[in-house]
Amino acid sequence: MPDRLRRLLSGPASLGYAVLTATAVTYLLVYTTNLGHLPTSFDYLSILNTTLPLVFVAIGQSLVVITGGIDLSVGGIVAFCVAVTATRVHGSGLTPFAWLLAILALGTACGAVNGVIVARARIAPILTTLATLSIFSGLALWVLPVPGGSIPSGVRMVLTNPTVPTGLIWLSLAVLGWLVLRRTRFGMRVYAVGSDETSAVAIGVPAARIKIAVYALSGLCSALAAVFYVSTTTAGDANAGGPFILTSIASVVVGGVAFSGGRGSALGAMAGAVALTLVIDVIFFAGIDPLYQSLFQGLFLVVAVLLGTGAALIARARRGAL
Amino acid sequence: MSIHRYARLLAAAAVVLLISTGCGDGSADNPATGGAKRVKIALSNSFIGNQWRVEMENVFKAACAMPPYLEQVECSIYNAGNDVSTQSRQISNLISQGVNAIVINAASTSGLNGVVQQACDRGIVVVSFDNTVDAPCGLTVNTDQVKFGKQLAQFIVDQLKGQGNVIMVTGVAGTGADNDRNKGAKEVFAANPGIKLVGEYTGMWDSATAQRNTSAQLPGLPKVDGVWVSGGTDGVIKAFAEAGRPMPVFGGEGENGFRKYMAGILTPKVVGMSVGQPPFLSVISLELARAVLKGERQKKSIEIPFPVATSDSLKPGETVFPDLPDSFFADFTDSGPNATVVLCQNAATDGTPCPGTLKVNLGS
Repeated sequence: MPDRLRRLLSGPASLGYAVLTATAVTYLLVYTTNLGHLPTSFDYLSILNTTLPLVFVAIGQSLVVITGGIDLSVGGIVAFCVAVTATRVHGSGLTPFAWLLAILALGTACGAVNGVIVARARIAPILTTLATLSIFSGLALWVLPVPGGSIPSGVRMVLTNPTVPTGLIWLSLAVLGWLVLRRTRFGMRVYAVGSDETSAVAIGVPAARIKIAVYALSGLCSALAAVFYVSTTTAGDANAGGPFILTSIASVVVGGVAFSGGRGSALGAMAGAVALTLVIDVIFFAGIDPLYQSLFQGLFLVVAVLLGTGAALIARARRGAL
Repeated sequence: MSIHRYARLLAAAAVVLLISTGCGDGSADNPATGGAKRVKIALSNSFIGNQWRVEMENVFKAACAMPPYLEQVECSIYNAGNDVSTQSRQISNLISQGVNAIVINAASTSGLNGVVQQACDRGIVVVSFDNTVDAPCGLTVNTDQVKFGKQLAQFIVDQLKGQGNVIMVTGVAGTGADNDRNKGAKEVFAANPGIKLVGEYTGMWDSATAQRNTSAQLPGLPKVDGVWVSGGTDGVIKAFAEAGRPMPVFGGEGENGFRKYMAGILTPKVVGMSVGQPPFLSVISLELARAVLKGERQKKSIEIPFPVATSDSLKPGETVFPDLPDSFFADFTDSGPNATVVLCQNAATDGTPCPGTLKVNLGS
């Protein structure tokens, strides 16, 4: 086995890759047996465009989970930013893009609020983000009380073009961004804080600042997700964020990020996010009774996680024996 | 090497997953592959898990198993939960599957615009109902919620001959239907100076909540002559009965429990009018999609009248169902000579077909 492939299979994101491969193969199989031909460019493109928002939220969530925290407010930040995007991004030329930058700043600020409360006021992440979830969701309803709004088609053409896979550019940028971040001093400190905060502080890691930055990044990711959400759906809904809370956490779990902190990779979470979307398609083409769809989605999660834990245990046991 | 083991384990897992889903597929495919040239119509529903949605899907299923739909249409049903991206994926897959029409009860009125537009671009007929889709290329089948409020309020005013105290039990605040219903009712009450609105509180469209809130409000209320209820009507009646109050005139939703009181099956007998958002909107949408596909009808949205029942027009087995629970929506079928659609009890409870041919009257 080539060295690089071996590293890929044993790396922190391997569970995510394995689950993604399994679901992708299953998807191809079920699709082909059902329709008699391989998926077309329309299928790939619509999978890409519908997955992008979840991919972004999953990146943010994985960063937070690596520091040993959890971010429930992603649902609120996505909703708030969706509402602002759908109501404020108008005009032509570069104006809408300036607005998009402002929305990314807004999301980052929302995330930073979480970070400050968690790091400075030392309130448990789950409590903090549960509270801010309500606040941000409330703000979303205030901005956009009934579903509606719009997005200039220029933005749509650049972000999630329905005929050209522009989404691939943004996906690659996200992967690249993570690979760079991972290698910076900040990236290493994120892991340090997650695996053992006390020791990290003892060797001079500014844990509080790192945490604030991580929650702010999660907010930024949620804002990105919101922008892509509005771009794909062409309108806003103040309730758009809710589903992202559980699905982003599920992506992180499937992606093999440890909830104890310090272990895992955003790449795994991204793979997990894509796998979760593909599961919907697998269930669709497998012709599973609609009443049991959520049952199967849940089973998929449990099986994926059990496989991950089982594999890790076996690996550890063997290492111990050697 | 532990690394090899790990990789092999994951490969094995992949195979297991593959096989398990592969098997599920084969068995589910059989019933769909018979028949000559039938049009494919899929129902994409968002949330399932309340009585209304279950009845809505059951009557759809029943209609698909009845002529003329049995010979002309190949139906399928999908639920997405309240998750826009799941429903959006399902609709994309329906597009890939090459269905001819998609009937939608949406998770979000705006969130499916993108994918619905893509469906329209490929010549697929999209009909949405109840929680409709905004995309202008899609057709809608719905009722007018302002009229709901007006019609019930007018009935109360007429019964009271324009004089008396009324209360309003509203629905879930912040939803379009609640706003519209309340608006319609208030317009009518305001136009009649003899009518005094002495109380207004929410029942959350839920019988238990409506009963609890009514019991809490009643001690502070003067004599009540008329009650307007947006949902949970049987709960309000129970609260009045428990408090030993004289029975006012009721204008309420389509709950079977309410109609049992109106018919005198439950005591005390109540004078009232029952109007509701009919679960058979799914069947109307099915018919519109079929008719458009067959070229029998223009591509035009339709608004259907509410099925209405009053205390003196109730017929057991048609508009009130003594052996069904109170929470059941009795308006799963329309009645009378101009009925939009008439369905049997089994269609709503189990989704089994009714005897005979199904006629859906879309109006002209």
